[in-house]
Amino acid sequence: MKLLRVDMRERKVRSEPVPETYQHQGGRGLTAAILLGETDPTADALGPRNKLIVAPGLLGGTGVSTAGRLSIGAKSPLTGGVKEANAGGNAGDTLARHDFKAIIVEDQAEPDGFYVLHVSRDGAELVPAGAAQGRGTYASAEWLWKEFGEGCTILSIGQAGEFRLTGAAIAVTGEGEQRSNIAARGGLGGVMGSKGLKAIVIDKAQGQSVPLAEPNLFRAAMKRFALELTNDPKLGPKGGTHMYGTAAITAAVNEMGSLPTRSFSDGSFEQAGGLRGEHLRETVLKRQGRIGTRCMPGCVIACRNVYVDDAGQPLVGTLQYETIALVGSNLGLGDLDDVARLNYMCNDFGLDTIETGAALGVLIEAGLAAFGDFEGITALLLQVGQGTPLGRLIGSGAAACGRAYGIRRVPVVMGQAMPGYDPRSLKGNGVTYATSPQGADHTAGNAFGARNQVNPLGIEGQRQLSLKLQIISAMLDSTGLCLFARPPVIADPQLMVDMLNGRFGWGWSTADLDAANRAILRTELEFNRRAGITPAQHRIPEYMRREPLAPHNVVFDVPDSELDAVFDEL
Amino acid sequence: MAVEVELFGQFAVGRQAHLMLEASPGMTAREIALDLGLSPEEIGLVSIDGVLCELEEAVPGDCRLCFFPPMTGG
Repeated sequence: MKLLRVDMRERKVRSEPVPETYQHQGGRGLTAAILLGETDPTADALGPRNKLIVAPGLLGGTGVSTAGRLSIGAKSPLTGGVKEANAGGNAGDTLARHDFKAIIVEDQAEPDGFYVLHVSRDGAELVPAGAAQGRGTYASAEWLWKEFGEGCTILSIGQAGEFRLTGAAIAVTGEGEQRSNIAARGGLGGVMGSKGLKAIVIDKAQGQSVPLAEPNLFRAAMKRFALELTNDPKLGPKGGTHMYGTAAITAAVNEMGSLPTRSFSDGSFEQAGGLRGEHLRETVLKRQGRIGTRCMPGCVIACRNVYVDDAGQPLVGTLQYETIALVGSNLGLGDLDDVARLNYMCNDFGLDTIETGAALGVLIEAGLAAFGDFEGITALLLQVGQGTPLGRLIGSGAAACGRAYGIRRVPVVMGQAMPGYDPRSLKGNGVTYATSPQGADHTAGNAFGARNQVNPLGIEGQRQLSLKLQIISAMLDSTGLCLFARPPVIADPQLMVDMLNGRFGWGWSTADLDAANRAILRTELEFNRRAGITPAQHRIPEYMRREPLAPHNVVFDVPDSELDAVFDEL
Repeated sequence: MAVEVELFGQFAVGRQAHLMLEASPGMTAREIALDLGLSPEEIGLVSIDGVLCELEEAVPGDCRLCFFPPMTGG
């Protein structure tokens, strides 16, 4: 495989062989290794010395179910630390089949100059962004498809990324007209904007396939993996994830008292019934939208939906739990139509819905709108696309809004907004937020799935649980697998080893796999240490340690000594 | 004693999702599940008044009992 280096200042592109040090890395592991190996962790995240890295997972392009996720990494302008955000769509699969292990975007174009990187079978080139500049991600994709062909895969930023905002995301297209797979977290859209890169367009990889070192081993493992996903009661065709999407958990999180409500001031929402996955499914089917579609080629879970209005016109695809929590209950909104409309706006401006929902919640507490006031909230959000001073503040995230308006109840860790689980009543997630090198990010180690093993309201066992989950997440993010696909490879790590050995011929054991996963976390922690991140920046906000959360009236009370010991056994 | 019961996800398909039951003192969540036609092996999560519990837990009066199918967070 090759690396594609893109020099934005000189507007030159070159491919080069993959150095030995990166051979066993993919996805999140590779982005972290490149950041630590090639950048100064103290560099300005929005400056020329940061790098934006786009990398398929190790199993990208192979056809393994759910393994087409694309990792995007850089130093985060939001957290100041290492960041990886990944997305579904076609890019992970297509880039790997074009034989690219990563695209590394370096330096910056001239101020206000925006370009498109066009990647084809024969190489790559930078061309002016033309009419895509200034547009949202939906319109950008439309224009770029006309310019480069309908089958292309497009990664793009919206206005928020062009403004270099720290809550900006990167949108990735998928099958058909799918445009809403989002690498959301950590302000990576702002980094892409700072480079002067509006979009990456990747030609179809028709007829190209990745080589297999041991085809029989690989195919047997791949087949068993897909079969086990299909047979899993959570993930198969009769499972909640397929039937109700990620919103399947909305009612349970609400019942557990962990659903962010009115800017994390309550743990359950009286209108949660209107936000539940069951209601989403019923509404979408009644309106002839789509349920149970996939965001990546070959995914057998198929948790995606296309949410439509009452005339059957698509509002957004896909409407997911984290958005429902942060843009719904967190803003006092109990109508999925309202959430879908705000979701579309976030996607189009190129914003992280988690960060933006938390930011809007903070502004509501500051008095700029009211909880449940859809029109008022919409008027605030529209300002991001317009580039007004307030809009730029909203697009900079919850911490920036809190500082600007003197609000101290700001649900962030390392400057990054918490996702859809209040850490006071799901303490395992609190431990992850407070220790992960990624900051407050549920995908770094989500304890919701382990609620039966460790009491979510207790302290005991949370440290060990979070470490275990963080190691597993590092594996999934580096191989390109969806987080939902973890049960078969947790139950039998040899299955993952067989897929990797079948693809690359490494002759790994399960111990080698475990060591590689742990090494990814060590690399990220070392980057953050050199970047100057301290335990103090990782702490759960003080108000969550002092102000009890209804309905269980609990605070986050995992001692700092426990948090500081999470990686003792890494 | 009165128990408010709610069934979620696939459990609510073809069943009454929300109901009030008269339960005998000492009755467990498992016994109530069986009465409702739920197979204990298919239950992913049980909660009483929002606190997760085991199927063998005795259900107190005037509580809210919820049954969820297996589910996972992203």
